[in-house]
Amino acid sequence: MSNNVSFKDMLVKGALIFNPVLIQLVGLCPVVAASTTLAGSAALSAALCIELTATCVIASALFKKIPRWVRVPLYLIIGLALICPVLWYIETKTLINMSLGMKIYIPLIAINSVTAVHCEQFAVKNSVKLAFFDAAAVSIGASAVMLLVGTVREIFGSGSLAGVNLDLPVIFKGMSLPFGCLILLGFMAAGLKAFINYRYGDEEETEEEAPVEDEEIIEDEIAEVEIFDEFWVEQPAEEEPAPAEKAQPQTAQEIQSSANEDIEDFFRSIGIDYYEKGDKQ
Amino acid sequence: MANNPAKQNTIKGSRIFGDYLIMLAAPCFVAAWYHGSRFLSVAAVSVITALFCDFAAKAILGKTFHLRDFSNIFIGIAIALMLPAGIPLYVPVTAAAFAVLAVKIPFGGALHAPFVPAAAGFAFISICFKDLIFDYSVNSETRLLGAESLGSMLSKGKSVYISTANVFDIIAGNVAGPMGTGCGILMLACCVYLFVRRRKALLATIGFVAACAVYAAVSPRINASALTSIVLELSAGSLMFAGVFLLTDHATLPHNGINRVIYGALCGVLCMAMRGAGVFEETVCFAILLANGMRPVLDAAFRALPSVSFKRKEAAEK
Repeated sequence: MSNNVSFKDMLVKGALIFNPVLIQLVGLCPVVAASTTLAGSAALSAALCIELTATCVIASALFKKIPRWVRVPLYLIIGLALICPVLWYIETKTLINMSLGMKIYIPLIAINSVTAVHCEQFAVKNSVKLAFFDAAAVSIGASAVMLLVGTVREIFGSGSLAGVNLDLPVIFKGMSLPFGCLILLGFMAAGLKAFINYRYGDEEETEEEAPVEDEEIIEDEIAEVEIFDEFWVEQPAEEEPAPAEKAQPQTAQEIQSSANEDIEDFFRSIGIDYYEKGDKQ
Repeated sequence: MANNPAKQNTIKGSRIFGDYLIMLAAPCFVAAWYHGSRFLSVAAVSVITALFCDFAAKAILGKTFHLRDFSNIFIGIAIALMLPAGIPLYVPVTAAAFAVLAVKIPFGGALHAPFVPAAAGFAFISICFKDLIFDYSVNSETRLLGAESLGSMLSKGKSVYISTANVFDIIAGNVAGPMGTGCGILMLACCVYLFVRRRKALLATIGFVAACAVYAAVSPRINASALTSIVLELSAGSLMFAGVFLLTDHATLPHNGINRVIYGALCGVLCMAMRGAGVFEETVCFAILLANGMRPVLDAAFRALPSVSFKRKEAAEK
């Protein structure tokens, strides 16, 4: 394993190209449900940074010899052990007012899929330094998205920013709801993907141009226009479409497997063996 | 293209939306008759917003903007018809912009969108501006029930004794409600036109209306006869309009004819269930969006069922 990877490379890849929220689509639940305000997003981001970085470093330092079936529950226990005292301290010893929703979703940060994925697939297979770099890069990427989403949702959904009323003439309550966040994340993901393709994409790769809408052809409708010379006809059963040369991933397991292969290729490209020998089935 | 035999049995997408625009002429006339310049201004703002958003988005994406793409005009007019007369102009602007930018453009156009853009736009503003969307107090002084709409009345459990004196007002849309969707007679006329032009699409409308009628008869919200419940439920809000214009959207209809009936019935049950249990007076757009999401499941689940479709004689002989 190579330790000569700079933090800048890890930051670009972990926070941008493989952004956990926008590209890998992991850990969406707290983002969608709880990042309705800037303050809430900041609390979620801080919790994620602390929990993910500490868990990945501990996993890299201590869990390499532990069997896999034991490791995964340990990640969750460590995450909760880190988060719950902080939450208790904020509740009882400070004057910070946390809403009921935040109280629910901050512990969920400890057991979200970002932690399990990055601990199991990277931290336990690499050095502590690389594990720290990876966790920090992923935390920064996820936190940036959370803060941006929280800012936009608070401005348009509540008409305020960080609790300060902006006196906007129109407020879109839908932006405070989960569907508003999902639509916003979709646009952000599309924008990030376009930026990645523009900045880091393969120049030989040409985008397939979508058909022009006005030239769109819709089949099987013309026969319905004239009604006077028609009669009912039993149509033959539809033939099953021929399988494509390369099947697209359909199930969640296949999609996850495909995503893992992408991550593996990325880390190999920067000189890191993604799996240890004999680890990959 | 004309020499390609595979594409001779086809029509362009603009023809479908052209048919919709022809069908929309009558509801627009009625809305302009009842509400005058108020409807015209709302419709104009909505259509211009849809056209501008489509133009801007295609300019950003580097695609060609076609004015013949009638889907923008259809989206704008359909949204305007479902709104009350006293609506502020920023509401149709929001709805049209959402329909085009968040539903139509990201999926490659109105013929590819998995959700009906106009329904999505109306659902969005229903959530964002609930108090404005269901305020029918403007231009309602001379209506049958004053400023109270049928949907509001049904949600409160209040009924109307239907007689020959008032039944025509109800089915002609002379009650408080959306500007251009309350006239059931016109909706039936539009169904006839749709039957001539795209009869397979009408299967979804049939399933939808039948399911709504059965649900209203079996589980009425008011203490009245089943027939009264059916008439009032079908006449309330934009139910019939959505069943004719939005539910028959080509991109979201199932392939199989039987699936279309099931799809419409599912949408009707969802709509009536949400009317009874939900917080919104008008739920048909939410029901359509939910049914849109279930359409691939329907296509997959009922793929094995036999299909019967209309074909011209010579096409069948070939």
